[in-house]
Amino acid sequence: MSELLKFHFTPADKARPEEENLHAQVSTDVTDVIKALQEQFPGAVTDVSVYAGEHTVFVARENLLQVCTALKETLGFTYLVDLAGVDRFQEDAPRYEVYYCFVNLKAGKRLRIKVRVEEDDAVVPSITGLFKAADWNERECFDMLGIRFKGHPDLRRMYMPEDFEYYPQRKEFPLLGIPGSLPLPPRTPEGELTLDPFAAARSGSPVKSYQEPAANDEK
Amino acid sequence: MDSATGYLTTTVDSVVNWARSNSLMPMPMGLACCAIEMMAFGGPKYDVGRFGSEAMRFSPRQADLMIVAGWCSYKMAHAIRRVWDQMADPKWCIAMGACASSGGMHRCYGVVQGIDNFLPVDVYIPGCPPRPEAVIHALMDIQEKIRNEYSIAKDYTSGPQQSTVAPINPGILTSDGRTTAGGV
Ligand code: SF4
Repeated sequence: MSELLKFHFTPADKARPEEENLHAQVSTDVTDVIKALQEQFPGAVTDVSVYAGEHTVFVARENLLQVCTALKETLGFTYLVDLAGVDRFQEDAPRYEVYYCFVNLKAGKRLRIKVRVEEDDAVVPSITGLFKAADWNERECFDMLGIRFKGHPDLRRMYMPEDFEYYPQRKEFPLLGIPGSLPLPPRTPEGELTLDPFAAARSGSPVKSYQEPAANDEK
Repeated sequence: MDSATGYLTTTVDSVVNWARSNSLMPMPMGLACCAIEMMAFGGPKYDVGRFGSEAMRFSPRQADLMIVAGWCSYKMAHAIRRVWDQMADPKWCIAMGACASSGGMHRCYGVVQGIDNFLPVDVYIPGCPPRPEAVIHALMDIQEKIRNEYSIAKDYTSGPQQSTVAPINPGILTSDGRTTAGGV
């Protein structure tokens, strides 16, 4: 409870007059859920942090599926809002982090769960069996950061071409990409793929079709 | 006028160019936010129908002007080039907005830094997004370009290097009623 916000520009939350942080909302106060998880799965919750009245629950990778099943089936968190990865390159270890945001629609509560994995073992169990909504988010996370989701039914790239070899949201990936890794289309219908991403700057724009070299059957 | 000035071909050329330039059928390659301004360009307020281009053709076979509106990813580039190759000649291309012209603010690994890396662009429109008037202006530039093209002189369109006949140089009627020397 060290990092409470000290600015008070939102109205005080009437439901929790004893709460020191006026910024806090009832929907993010999930102390009872955290307590229930800690009792049900001793050792699963490795850490709990609070920032601006929001709880973040760190869960061990081995217990993720158990925790998500309990959240969905007994604690009422039936709605997976978001799921994505974070690269904490050179900030902290372990390097990767996957977060899950759940909502309990009946009780009006929000919960954020985080799982941290090491760089050389970036595998997280897939929760697609529990939440179908996780499917594309897990694929995106795999595409961008290279975190593998064990048990995902169709772990293909989401945005980048299937034969792309890199993970562009890893922080060591250069902003303008790796030249030659994403070919541009040929500059004439019969031509070769263009490997230079700045081909127009180096060798001029493609020519109009009536200036193209003649096709084989026209020669 | 003697036969050396190519009376028939220049006259037919001007008729064909008039017809082509006033009935450009755009292929709306809407990729991002710029496509919204392209819709305004085709809509009733800016009314590009005044310039004969209100008939947007979603089939490349029926279109002769491609408006690439928006940022283009490397994955999409291949589809765009394929559509472009399916359009029948003669065809023209507008790069609409900063993104299509140069990558714009998307200076990153996934966005092509200017569609002129794989398409022969005729007119670039600056702006983010350009106003519909700017798109109309680009269309008028293309019309201007078409009116100065030789279309019937087929030997010209098959490439100036391979041409055995030089392009026709028609005589021009000056303001004092003289005709300048034309000829080959
Ligand atoms: S130029 Fe601006 S409006 Fe047009 S596609 Fe790019 S970001 Fe969107």
